[in-house]
Amino acid sequence: MIPGKYRSVSGRAANNVNCGLHLVIQTSTLPEKNKTEFRFSRDTSPFPGRLLQHDLERNYSSRQGDGRVISPSPRNKSSFISSTTNVTELYGLDMKTTTSSFSAFGDCSIQTPFKSRLRQGCHSAGPNVSGDHINLVSSSLPSFPILQRSSEEKSLYSDRLTLERQKLTVCPIIDGEEHLRLLNFQHNFITRIQNISNLQSLIFLDLYDNQIEEISGLSTLRSLRVLLLGKNRIKKISNLENLKNLDVLDLHGNQITKIENVNHLCDLRVLNLARNFLSHVDNLHGLDSLTELNLRHNQITFVRDVDNLPCLQRLFLSFNNISSFDSVSCLADSTSLSDITFDGNPLAQESWYKHTVLQNMTQLRQLDMKRVTEEERRVASVVAKKEEEKKRESQKQSLLKEKKRLTINNVARNWDLQQRVSNNAINADRKDCASPPRDSCQLDGSTTSSLPAETGSLDSGLTSALQGLSVTDTHLVEIEGDTLSLYGSGALECLDRNWSLQTAGMVTTISFTFIEFDEIVQVFPKLKIKFPNSLHLKFKETNLVMLQQFNALAQLRRVDQLTVDPQGNPVVNFTLWKYYVLFRLSHFSMQKINGTEVTQNDMIMAERLFGILAHVASSELPQYRMISILGDARRKQFRYLLETKGKKPGIASEENNDSKRVMGENTNRATLNYTTKEWHNEKLEEIKEKKKFCQMYVEDLVKEATDINMKNEALQKLWPQMFIELVRDAVIEIRNKNTYMKVCLQQITDQK
Amino acid sequence: MLSPERLALPDYEYLAQRHVLTYMEDAVCQLLENREDISQYGIARFFTEYFNSVCQGTHILFREFSFIQATPHNRASFLRAFWRCFRTVGKNGDLLTMREYHCLLQLLCPDFPLELTQKAARIVLMDDAMDCLMSFSDFLFAFQIQFYYSEFLDNVAVIYQDLLSGKNPNTVIVPTSSSGQHYQRPALGEAGMLEGVEASLFYQCLENLCDRHKYSCPPPALVKEILSNVQKLTFYGFLVALSKHHGINQALGALPDKGDLMHDPAMDEELDRLLAQVPGLVNATSEASCLPSRTSSRVGSPWRPLHHSRKVDTESDGSTEETDESET
Repeated sequence: MIPGKYRSVSGRAANNVNCGLHLVIQTSTLPEKNKTEFRFSRDTSPFPGRLLQHDLERNYSSRQGDGRVISPSPRNKSSFISSTTNVTELYGLDMKTTTSSFSAFGDCSIQTPFKSRLRQGCHSAGPNVSGDHINLVSSSLPSFPILQRSSEEKSLYSDRLTLERQKLTVCPIIDGEEHLRLLNFQHNFITRIQNISNLQSLIFLDLYDNQIEEISGLSTLRSLRVLLLGKNRIKKISNLENLKNLDVLDLHGNQITKIENVNHLCDLRVLNLARNFLSHVDNLHGLDSLTELNLRHNQITFVRDVDNLPCLQRLFLSFNNISSFDSVSCLADSTSLSDITFDGNPLAQESWYKHTVLQNMTQLRQLDMKRVTEEERRVASVVAKKEEEKKRESQKQSLLKEKKRLTINNVARNWDLQQRVSNNAINADRKDCASPPRDSCQLDGSTTSSLPAETGSLDSGLTSALQGLSVTDTHLVEIEGDTLSLYGSGALECLDRNWSLQTAGMVTTISFTFIEFDEIVQVFPKLKIKFPNSLHLKFKETNLVMLQQFNALAQLRRVDQLTVDPQGNPVVNFTLWKYYVLFRLSHFSMQKINGTEVTQNDMIMAERLFGILAHVASSELPQYRMISILGDARRKQFRYLLETKGKKPGIASEENNDSKRVMGENTNRATLNYTTKEWHNEKLEEIKEKKKFCQMYVEDLVKEATDINMKNEALQKLWPQMFIELVRDAVIEIRNKNTYMKVCLQQITDQK
Repeated sequence: MLSPERLALPDYEYLAQRHVLTYMEDAVCQLLENREDISQYGIARFFTEYFNSVCQGTHILFREFSFIQATPHNRASFLRAFWRCFRTVGKNGDLLTMREYHCLLQLLCPDFPLELTQKAARIVLMDDAMDCLMSFSDFLFAFQIQFYYSEFLDNVAVIYQDLLSGKNPNTVIVPTSSSGQHYQRPALGEAGMLEGVEASLFYQCLENLCDRHKYSCPPPALVKEILSNVQKLTFYGFLVALSKHHGINQALGALPDKGDLMHDPAMDEELDRLLAQVPGLVNATSEASCLPSRTSSRVGSPWRPLHHSRKVDTESDGSTEETDESET
């Protein structure tokens, strides 16, 4: 940029020799490069794996605890060296043990206090290097400084050049250093990578903390293995096409939004993209050697393609925006991953976080810098097993539910069909009806529309202990919590089954759907015995059409709540139905009808509307009828009533009242009962027979009686005349006294 | 036994015509049905009770339809029972649908046919408004006519139909009720509503019908009265007139006059007593006592003798007491 400035910098650098840079401006090449090796042998280095860490954060933390990871100092930002690799592997440089060089290089990367010392070290390492040897010449290209080193420098550090903190704004032209293998431009103001295309044997290029906006000028550096571009202004990963040997790529602290153009880097082992603007991780295929991927401090919400990295061992996703394990689910498919961090993500706050991760990534050895213990693994697997079971259970349930839905559909269809048939029959019966019942079509519409709603409600009840008990095609029996649901008339047969005492005792709600009410009535006695605690009855699509059908409910033990769905129960359309129910079932003192609290006013209204009916039914019904209407159970008691009534009417009436109160149900209501149509018809049939007989019998009797009467009348009519005739004959006979006496005497003598 | 018809007929026919046989048969039938129970408290007692209940009109409660419609007395008794039991529904001011009324009827007679209710509703409502709501009194009076004179009305329908089509109705063999209905409706809907038939001619035919009709008919004088007021009338016009006619209601004797329809002081008293028994009830009695108490001395007995509809009856007083005793 401005050469003057640069010059002054270099000038200062020349004055202050402790800058740690060895700028040798020399054309002579010394073959002693072997001597000036930076060498990190395994035995000499106290940190064998931690070699070229300019801004390491990860390796320390992974090795020595997480203190530095969680609060990384500005210098500790990037890490790019695998802890297990040693230099030889990394660089393939031949190495010699030179303690000074080690300290000069190795230490400098670690921490500030060391840094200063390192400079000292550098200085002392090259004692014969003086400021005089540094010479920046701006001859050939006016804008770029030309750098040359002294021959001593060169011979000492023949393949290494460090231009750290030189306030460089451009890359100087480095002449005569074609064999340079390591080049360091840390902490400068370089905006563009230039003038290094001639350094074709360069292996290590450090441009940390500059102002580079674009990766460029590297296309000739085919042997480059380490490229450090941390803390720059790079927006895009590009122009790396020729760097096929790249081993370490550090791009931390840039402005990259997307991972791209890296798929050819099949030898890349370390990729650092910490502190960028990545929103997701994708497009990682081809990075076949990648063992470490640092993605800390981005805005990543999901991770993909990680399972395409066969060698990936460490993945750092701390401080991102991952909120569910699903969005990183590909991690579970990676077999090589052994170390992962998720801290600082919403995900890590979840209670299930640890065991979910551990369960899904069994190969993991470290999670969030902590060793995964056996105990943790065990807990995770237990939890996971539980979850698995839950999942299986829910699957089973959903299967069951689906089956149930289908069955209900089927039952509904059958019911529909049945209803239509019966409706048609009715219509056929009443061709003269001006208003044929339109229920059939209404029914169709409502039935189909009702079904989705029904299944929806069932879904919500997933958590409750759903226990499908029997599913067949034509009916469905189900116990869900305290509700026994019966669909289809076949379901009524379940009441014959042996229910466990506990199950039966638990059931307080019984719901009937798609069953003829008349059929339900027949199982009430069984219901009473099998489910003694049932308090709430629900009817839906049960053909409740008449008020008198509610009479049948009176025989149950107890009903607290009644729900009659308007669907398929036309009776609900009547304004009086509720009051009739209240009236007829008053002995239950019901609490709710169709979900509405029963108020006292309702009770009064019910009594007001139907009280007289009950009164008439009880007080005016002839006794012989009363007996026949009341069931056997009541007969005994009624007989007792009769007896007392016969003796002392006054007292009896009081007793009558008392006993009535003692009884659960009012006697006056007991006469209002419901007989199903079939039963009624049967009875009528029976009566017909009797009637026939009675008719004949009475006819005979009456005929006989009238016959006798006629004869009697005839006799009555004849009798006076006969009498007169008799008298007349007698009178005529005794008219002549003498002859008559003679005849009499004659008779007497004859007798003798 | 001393009525003049008594001598005109042989005994058996007389008994049959007076429906005595029906009751005798039914009594025996009932006896047969419940012989174990009845034998315990005496057959004589049973017969007493049976014929008492027939007299009181309570014998039809909860009986099968075939019995309820068997005799005019039964029909009248049923009408009266219906009125007494559900008067409160009407009093409450509820307007109900035909089906709901039907349900109420079925409470008293489980196999009551829907058809009859429909026909009664048709007197009140237009053909296309069968789902409409009706007031209790409208329905009750229409139902009375339809139920009590069911067979007569079927025949009238046939006659009307024949008159409309210009046939001489006298040649028609009077069909039974079941066959008469089938061709009654459609034609009436078309032409009948618009014009109707000549009232005088119609009356002649009806008079003729009443003469030969073995079922109960409305008194011919009252029919004449109805028909003399108009020139022409339709079938339903006639039915409506019948149902609204005060005299016919009186002649039938089952129901009180329309104005008194809601009054039944004895039953109201009973109801008050029942309301007082409703558990947890506080202010029902005071409310109930607000009901207008009639000064009329008419007592809502289970049965007032037919044809003496407006008379106070000492016998019925007694019977009311009896019921009170048994209830309280």
